[in-house]
Amino acid sequence: MDVYGLRGPLQAIAEEMAVSEEEEAEGDEEAFVVVRKRPVTSDPAASSDMYCSDCGTPAHSGQHTHHRVVPLPDAVQDMKAELGKSHSRLTEKISQMENFASNLEEIFITVEENFGRQEQNLEQHYSDVLQTLAQRNSENSTSLQDQKKQKLEALYGQLLACGSLLDTGKELIENAQELHRCTNRNAFLQAVMPVIKRIENFAKEEVELKVGVSMEFTTPPVDLTGVKQMMESINVVPAPSAPVMNPQVVNSATTSSLRVCWSLFSDDTVDFYQLYCRQISEDITIEMEQDVSVRRVKETHCVVKDLLPNAQYEFWVTATNTTGISPTSERAVYMTVPSPPIIRPQECLSCLEAALVRWDSGNTNPVESYTLELSEADTHSSVTESIVAIPTCECLVQLQPWKRYVIHIRAVNIGGASERSPPITISTTGTFFPLLKETAHPSLSVSPDGFTMFYLDEDLPISEMVFSDSNFSSCVAVLGDLIPIRGQHYWEVEVDEWAEYRVGVAYEDTQRTSYLGANATSWCMRHIRTPSRHKYEFLHNGWSADVRITVQPLQIGVFLDYERGILSFYNAHLHQHLHTFTCCFHHYVLPCFALDKPGALTLQTGLTTPKYITHP
Amino acid sequence: MALTQVSSNKCCGGYQKVFEHDSSELKCKMKFGIYLPPKAESGKCPVFYWLSGLTCTEQNFITKAGSQQAASEHGIIIVAPDTSPRGCNIEGEDESWDFGTGAGFYVDATQDPWKTNYRMYSYVTEELPRLINSNFPADPEKMSVSGHSMGGHGALICALKNPGKYKAYDATVLAASYSGPELDILIDQGRDDQFLSSSQLLPDNLISACSEKKIPVVFRLQQGYDHSYYFVFSFINDHIKHHAKYLNA
Repeated sequence: MDVYGLRGPLQAIAEEMAVSEEEEAEGDEEAFVVVRKRPVTSDPAASSDMYCSDCGTPAHSGQHTHHRVVPLPDAVQDMKAELGKSHSRLTEKISQMENFASNLEEIFITVEENFGRQEQNLEQHYSDVLQTLAQRNSENSTSLQDQKKQKLEALYGQLLACGSLLDTGKELIENAQELHRCTNRNAFLQAVMPVIKRIENFAKEEVELKVGVSMEFTTPPVDLTGVKQMMESINVVPAPSAPVMNPQVVNSATTSSLRVCWSLFSDDTVDFYQLYCRQISEDITIEMEQDVSVRRVKETHCVVKDLLPNAQYEFWVTATNTTGISPTSERAVYMTVPSPPIIRPQECLSCLEAALVRWDSGNTNPVESYTLELSEADTHSSVTESIVAIPTCECLVQLQPWKRYVIHIRAVNIGGASERSPPITISTTGTFFPLLKETAHPSLSVSPDGFTMFYLDEDLPISEMVFSDSNFSSCVAVLGDLIPIRGQHYWEVEVDEWAEYRVGVAYEDTQRTSYLGANATSWCMRHIRTPSRHKYEFLHNGWSADVRITVQPLQIGVFLDYERGILSFYNAHLHQHLHTFTCCFHHYVLPCFALDKPGALTLQTGLTTPKYITHP
Repeated sequence: MALTQVSSNKCCGGYQKVFEHDSSELKCKMKFGIYLPPKAESGKCPVFYWLSGLTCTEQNFITKAGSQQAASEHGIIIVAPDTSPRGCNIEGEDESWDFGTGAGFYVDATQDPWKTNYRMYSYVTEELPRLINSNFPADPEKMSVSGHSMGGHGALICALKNPGKYKAYDATVLAASYSGPELDILIDQGRDDQFLSSSQLLPDNLISACSEKKIPVVFRLQQGYDHSYYFVFSFINDHIKHHAKYLNA
């Protein structure tokens, strides 16, 4: 039966139904018209407007007294309803038939394909078998030919040998006969003895009269087991072809699991897959191959758990059915998502317009990049700004002044992004910075909170001091880690009454062997204490302005303004301006602090610049 | 009291004017310079009183010091009175440059024939402020005093003798016995000032006294500067800014 042919009639039925619907619609109108027309013809018999449901005819006469008689319009309505029901039933049947027909179509096609494949398969098999047989045939015939050649050669050899013997014998006999005929007695006697000798020798020789070669042909045993096997396997389902590993899908990995997928690009029957997994070690010192784990899976995907974060794993897969196992797929590398980083709050810097955030990777192996997520703390909006593709463990981000921000970091690799790190809150209300402890002179110690500097009474002996390139070696000084932003910055230093100190700013590469203020790379306010009075210097390049101050400042406000090129010092308690350096800062400067005699200084950062300084 | 405008020149967006009036303290006609910044047109402004040095009149400061720019920027009225009563015909008043005419020293004389007219302290601390407050858009709560040379001394004694009036007669002595609201004094001294080198100026004494009494002073010794108006000009901006910090707070 032609499936396609079936569609035609079905289609026709559907069309007819549509037409009949239209006709019915028209019919409705006509009936309507008829009903209206009825009163015009005004049949005197009222019963002519009636219809008998039982008989199914208009009720003209009184025959229908016991029957169910209804007015004509009602009857028409009833009939229409019935017609509608049959109509819908028929439509349903038609759609079922249509579905069935399309199903049949699909099956038809599938069967065609499957059989086609089977045919191909069979053809392939048989041609393989034939090929093998032909090969065997030619092998065998070659071996027979070789045998033949060998035997013929041997026989020929024998023949030759016989021939030569015959020739020799004949020659001797001729010689003897000739000799016999010789009339010369002397010559005869001379020659006869050697000839006799020769004949005797010849006669003594054994003559091989046997045929050296057997007449039999040894046919090698025909090994057709391979062919037999091949014939048998024709009827069997083939082993599957190798599956193909899919590349890792974005966002399918977590820190401890991977969703591994593969595909089979043929319609082979597969009972189950075997998924192999091996961790790739980044550490090249590990010589041994890591263990391979195997999982048996029915689907073409598997979620592998209990993995390490930020690690690479190699996967390959085989498909198995009753016939056998497929070849292994190519290996694919998947990567788990990294662990979240950890922000280092003591090393984060900020000011009114920006922040520099630093963090630890959180992963032993390198990650591809980091993402910084930033949102305002006080608003209820969930707007988050993200900075992506950060290559190192720090990021300078521009911010708005007078706000509080919450910042998270994520680590990113090819497997995806980690969870958010624990947050840090940054307030852009003032400049905040820590001290750079690695620049401190060995005799300068810093309190645990990182903001009080001490020069204790006892100097360490020079031999015990550890010096490096970054710390001060003469001046007992330390630098602060000011954020590299060319705006306005303010901080305060609380000083002891007796402390002899230097506070100010210096370029990052200021000479570590020199004293603050003694060179062109630093500017500072210096306090010297004599028994009778206080002396103040404002030092740069070894030169100081001559300023007398009557009330000793115990809280010094330092104000730095890159734009205007000024560095000002204030008595913060009295709001009294002490001195201003006007300089053009070519590079970024760092706050510097030093103690010339034993004493202490305490740094206060994160303060808002007082109004008397910004709005005088 | 009737004020007569003597001159008016537009300067830095405001007006540099000179007025004349009959002084009741000094019993003669006195002139003073007044700079009105642009802000004075729309509201009251603080007043900065400038006391000039020996031999000066109301003209020297307003023509030579270049204070109008800073005053305009900070919205401050600058009043610069004359340095002594004029035309009183007191015998001996013109004999020396540092006594009598042009040398009022901002003190009230206690002896004849000077005591009738030479009352510069009262003029500067009472009559002049009253006059300014009633005739100009001046904020009576906000005034400060400054000066050069003799005027510097005058400023110090006005401030020290009137605790709380301004955010003796020997400043050093006054400082030694000052008790009142916190002051914040800025003093600039030219290192090459001939009066300094001849020991007519004794800043160390003042500094010691102020240190003793914990009166906040920042005293700056300016290398290469002398006593002239060039020196005044160079640092007047710093001083107006210093005053503005308190006047505009």
